[in-house]
Amino acid sequence: MKAIIIDDERLARRELRRLLQDYPEIEVVDEAANADEGIAKIESQNPDLVFLDIQMPGKTGFDLLTSLEKAPHVIFTTAYDEYALKAFEVNALDYLLKPVEPKRLADAIQKLHITEARETVANENANRSLLTENDQVFVKDGERCWFVKLSDIRLFESVGNYAKVFFGNNKPLILKSLNALEERLDEKTFFRANRKHIINLRMIEKIEPYFNGGLLLELKGGEKIEVSRRQTVKFKEMMSL
Amino acid sequence: MSNRNRLYWILQLSGWAFVCLVVLFFAHVYKVKISNSVLLGRLAVLFVSGIATTHLLRIFLKWKGWMMLSIEKAIPRMIVALIVTSLLHTLIILWAIDLFKLYTENQKKLNFFARLFGSTVDNGLYILPWLLIYYFYHFIEKSRKQQLDTLQLKALIKELELKTIKAHINPHFIFNSLNSIRALIDENPQRARRAITELSNILRSSMQADKSETVSFEKELSIVKDYLALENMRFEDRLKVEYQIDEKTLDQPVPPMMLQTLVENAIKHGISKQINGGTIRIISDFSDQYHELAVQNTGILNGSMNAEGFGLSSTQNRLSLLYGDKASFQIRQINPSTVEAKLLLPVEAAKVFS
Repeated sequence: MKAIIIDDERLARRELRRLLQDYPEIEVVDEAANADEGIAKIESQNPDLVFLDIQMPGKTGFDLLTSLEKAPHVIFTTAYDEYALKAFEVNALDYLLKPVEPKRLADAIQKLHITEARETVANENANRSLLTENDQVFVKDGERCWFVKLSDIRLFESVGNYAKVFFGNNKPLILKSLNALEERLDEKTFFRANRKHIINLRMIEKIEPYFNGGLLLELKGGEKIEVSRRQTVKFKEMMSL
Repeated sequence: MSNRNRLYWILQLSGWAFVCLVVLFFAHVYKVKISNSVLLGRLAVLFVSGIATTHLLRIFLKWKGWMMLSIEKAIPRMIVALIVTSLLHTLIILWAIDLFKLYTENQKKLNFFARLFGSTVDNGLYILPWLLIYYFYHFIEKSRKQQLDTLQLKALIKELELKTIKAHINPHFIFNSLNSIRALIDENPQRARRAITELSNILRSSMQADKSETVSFEKELSIVKDYLALENMRFEDRLKVEYQIDEKTLDQPVPPMMLQTLVENAIKHGISKQINGGTIRIISDFSDQYHELAVQNTGILNGSMNAEGFGLSSTQNRLSLLYGDKASFQIRQINPSTVEAKLLLPVEAAKVFS
């Protein structure tokens, strides 16, 4: 498993590297001392795992993640940061407090292996250029942040230059246009219902005919989405045997 | 409480004694046809019944807590209390007069209800001032107590503020330092050992800061040096430190951990935001009647930093708590890439605290 350590302090990176020596399956392929360097290295190295500090000069670790198209597995490392800790507690993201306790590191890596194993099975036939159901995106809305699996997302709604992402009881905004999203999403799962909405086909609860030859879909979260007449033809084609 | 009780009884007894004297005086002036024994008997009844009924009234008021009510709520209740007490007082007097045969000539001719009504109004005129005095005594006492409470509260807040301001040391810094030290144990054991000494010096002085209002600048500076040495270990070549210290200022008393807070801020908002780091310069000298302490750092002052940073607003508060308006603190951009935080401590006033 390829890993990158991103932290602005050389000694902190060194210490983490030393701790990771006990895990031969994790190979630290590179380090970065700030967010921009980190983004460049993530894109060139395509690591499976990133150890990420939050407070860094320039951009924070959160900024780094929101600017990535697809979030890798991330284990946050932070010394003490009330706001970050709050965000973590709410969403149970994985994080390590510096100085890192070896036991906590072992737990985090163990957890990682479990998710990894589950995903390799699911991803065997996946086309890597597209985002699949099992890929996750990092979403930050004010103080709260989430790693969201695409399979948990019901709906993307266009709001100007942003897209509103519906999952669970949350609907935060991400800075991505609906057209850009559509290009990257797997069309077997995500369907452009109309100009403003992309829906997850597995989240449809009910289908009703609508006037003008369109359809009205009700999603599992209760959202009602109209399928435009043109897209209805496509939708029926996809859904029919 | 016993003092207040004594005051109550003195006022109660002397008040009713005064009423009796007034009645006696009018009886004398108007030459009321009444025997001395009957007059004295009637006065005794008035005196005893007056004290008894108003004492009952007091017990009732205390029990109901009407003294704590606001004026608007108290007034209608007080009117009812006045009427009931006057009526009770009169009934006792009439009953005693009948019992001891203490009639005046006029009263023999009147029926019971006329006597009751007339006497109630008369007696009401004694109870009313009693009630007014009682109520306003409590009113004044209540407001005085409130003032006292507010003062005590303010003193407490000031004390707490000083405590929390002093004790403040950034936990982020402590844990980051510990993490660096752990990495150094392998890489440079000697530096790791020194770092532990430096960190314990800082922790110790932040705890001791609670105990004294000022320390010598020399002592404060040694803490700052330890602190910057630790930050240097973390930031490595991203942090450069320069000192411009006038030796004569080393004896000056300064508030503990104040310079330290400014340096911490300079790191947090200045150096740590710069990808390539920067320089921190610490300046101490005399200018006019002031001990001038300044911390300069590479960085750009943004608006939000002025008021919000805990360090800055607390520095301002602490200065005004310790020196009133004799000391000053300001932070400004002195050139496009340097921010300066400057303290001016009065030399004389500082001596008072030493």
